[in-house]
Amino acid sequence: MRNRLKVLRAERNWSQADLADKLDVSRQSVNAIETGKYDPSLPLAFKIAKVFALPIEQIFSDDELAQAAE
Amino acid sequence: MTCETAESVRQRRATVRYMRDMALAGAIYVACVFAAALAVRQLDPPQWAKIVLALIPLAPALLMLRAYLVNLNSMDEFQRRMQTDALLITTGVVVFGSFAWGFLEEWAGLPRVGMLWVFPVFSMLFGIVHMVIRFRNR
Repeated sequence: MRNRLKVLRAERNWSQADLADKLDVSRQSVNAIETGKYDPSLPLAFKIAKVFALPIEQIFSDDELAQAAE
Repeated sequence: MTCETAESVRQRRATVRYMRDMALAGAIYVACVFAAALAVRQLDPPQWAKIVLALIPLAPALLMLRAYLVNLNSMDEFQRRMQTDALLITTGVVVFGSFAWGFLEEWAGLPRVGMLWVFPVFSMLFGIVHMVIRFRNR
């Protein structure tokens, strides 16, 4: 799964620690999601969407679908 | 000046609580082992009492397990994933390692290793594996 977490975070000038604090997770977890090492659970994905005030599909996208679109 | 977030404060507190509970359980464990071993050797109690004394160190070991589970519940989902990965790898290595060693003892005459070593080896190996996983996901 792909995500735009790093870009969205940079747009808001948030550090990984800032975002981690908003999501109640560790900075390590934010880093793992950003680098694609870990796909968050559905509840955490919804929480991320809420923090960025965006629909979930504007943050996360399926690898195969994203490749097909490119 | 370091700016600590609420989440990092919460995690630091959970870690301090875990270390404190583990240290306490560890101290009780050492005391129980020495007291039980001394009682078995010096008093030469009946068999049923030996069984009870031999199982006494299990109580603080269960306290360690409780401290671990409390700490596990304070973690986020990614941290728990790293824990379960480390647990699975460690379990696999210890189970297959002891299985292989059993055959080596029976058929190749290698020295007997007591079951007592399984828990310390498991704990140590789990610590190392978890450290490697954490390092790879730092």
